[in-house]
Amino acid sequence: MTPDRRQRVAELFEAALDRDAESAAQWIAREAADDPAVRDEALSLLASHSRAGAFLERPIAESAPDLLADDEPLAAGTTIGAYTIVREIGRGGMGHVYLASDARLGRSVALKALAPHLVCDPTHRERLRREARAAASLSHPGICTVFALEEVEGALYIATEFVDGRTLRDEIDAGPRPSVGEIVRTARETAAALAAAHARGIVHRDLKPENVMRARDGSLKILDFGLARLAPPDDLSRAAALTFATDPGLVVGTPAYMAPEQINGGEVDARADVFAMGVLLYEFACGIHPFGGSSPLAIVARVLDSDAPPIESRRVEIPDGLAAVIARCLQKAPADRFRSAAEIVEALRAADRAAAPARHSAWWRTHQIAITVIYLAAAILSWQMKEWVETPVTVAIFLALGVAATIGGVLRGHLVFTERMNRAWLAVERRRTTRLLTALDVAMAALLAGDAAWIAPVRALPAVFALSAAAGLALATFVLEPATTAAAFGEDL
Amino acid sequence: MTAPDRPPAAQEVAPLVYDELRRLAAAYMRRERPGQTLQATALVHEAYLRLASAGTPWHDKRHFVGIAARAMRQILVERARARGAQKRWAGLDRVTLTDALAAAASEALTRLARVDAELARLVELRYFAGLSIEEAAEALGISPATVKRRWALARAWLFRELSESPA
Repeated sequence: MTPDRRQRVAELFEAALDRDAESAAQWIAREAADDPAVRDEALSLLASHSRAGAFLERPIAESAPDLLADDEPLAAGTTIGAYTIVREIGRGGMGHVYLASDARLGRSVALKALAPHLVCDPTHRERLRREARAAASLSHPGICTVFALEEVEGALYIATEFVDGRTLRDEIDAGPRPSVGEIVRTARETAAALAAAHARGIVHRDLKPENVMRARDGSLKILDFGLARLAPPDDLSRAAALTFATDPGLVVGTPAYMAPEQINGGEVDARADVFAMGVLLYEFACGIHPFGGSSPLAIVARVLDSDAPPIESRRVEIPDGLAAVIARCLQKAPADRFRSAAEIVEALRAADRAAAPARHSAWWRTHQIAITVIYLAAAILSWQMKEWVETPVTVAIFLALGVAATIGGVLRGHLVFTERMNRAWLAVERRRTTRLLTALDVAMAALLAGDAAWIAPVRALPAVFALSAAAGLALATFVLEPATTAAAFGEDL
Repeated sequence: MTAPDRPPAAQEVAPLVYDELRRLAAAYMRRERPGQTLQATALVHEAYLRLASAGTPWHDKRHFVGIAARAMRQILVERARARGAQKRWAGLDRVTLTDALAAAASEALTRLARVDAELARLVELRYFAGLSIEEAAEALGISPATVKRRWALARAWLFRELSESPA
């Protein structure tokens, strides 16, 4: 585009600012009707203008004051009150985290030094104390315990249980992808710990793989409970609101794990944690963020308006039940998600129950098919016996066995088909056919035994074979079938 | 302040430069919170050191404000990048998002400068140096009303540039 035309675009855009959005677009379309490229460019800029909200309105140093702050960690051996710094174990937006030893109780603690810009305001300090008290009231094996909020020479420190292990972030980065069993266990443990907090009305607000630690003994612990709210109110909005929201409401949390309502600065409750939990599990299972994009801004944009690809499209072996739980966590509207982590725990349990029979129904299916094969063999055997000793009795037995084998085979085939293709109807179909099938089996065993007795004087060996086949059929009906059925369908025999 | 015959190097006018930088720093301190004054002063120091060591010649106050804003932009974006490099973006927190925005905005701004240099300067003054509409108007020698319109255009342009960047 030539400078002249660019100048015209700028003039059109600036003149349109005085009009309301709708008439401005019409006005531009009319004014620049002679030059579609100029018209489209001006309209596109106008559309961006209406979407830009508070974008760039706050100077960068104001939105990230600590860009200028001195960021040197404390040296080992430094004493902070009763604590002696051992080494730095992490750092984040809130400040540095150290491993420290507590001289009074002779134990190791994780000491989180809160960045000075977070603690300068007295009302905010008071709020910090309140939040730390609430977090300290949580006692659950899956939650990292908060010991104390310490004030040393005007600086604030939070002392928590020191968990030695790896974060889920480390595990995700290290690969390989966890097994389905590990994913289910991780989901169950994390949801249970989160549920304990939700039951007390405490919302995490910043659940992410960095905040879930697997201790050396394999147990999981959620870190930084409730600490997300410790960011001062006027800082809360800065990142997301700066970019997307017109009204800088209260926004806390880590953008890539924030629920849409959290990004938009709306009310946040346990359901925001449920969303974060969905993102976390998805990422843990697949190694990819469900709303992954090349930049943080792209992720936030996708959280707001695109659906995540179904998890089973990235890992086919994820059980349906777990996939459904994760999909429900990731719903855009809070009302469509689980109301709290307790419901996730319950849904995972239900999914487990539903999934368990699927593992064992293979035996039941094999049994049904094997019996059908035995039916066929019995019919062939009786035909052979009729060939050896052709009397009206053997012919009748052959015909009867043929009919019974056909009916039995069709019914069992029907059950296997229903189990595979139309599981919801299986219970009904089984109720309708169980007695008939048992009767058929008994009848066939009896017919075979009768046949054997009839030909025994003439052909002893085939008679013994037929007799044992009859016994086998009876055993299969009264011993094996109840066992495979119980394994496949549980109590509902 | 009039343009001297020979543009003086920054060292020669250190006190003047420093005063001017202090005035610029006031833009940061306006909405000052406890603990932040120190940071604004630190930025001023660093910007001064950079200007002095670069020996950038300047013509008049307006030109100088522009150069100082450029220096501040460089300092802030370098810091944001350095901090971003310490963390993976997947684990980003609030601060990292702002850092990423600063770096992305700076890159987009370089592209904007190729299209409309004056518009890019305005963004440097407003977003990176923290000048108000009135201060930016003074620095650019145009009316505040014009600054407001141009600022809206710059924000719309950059917002489109950033939201359309390939995901």
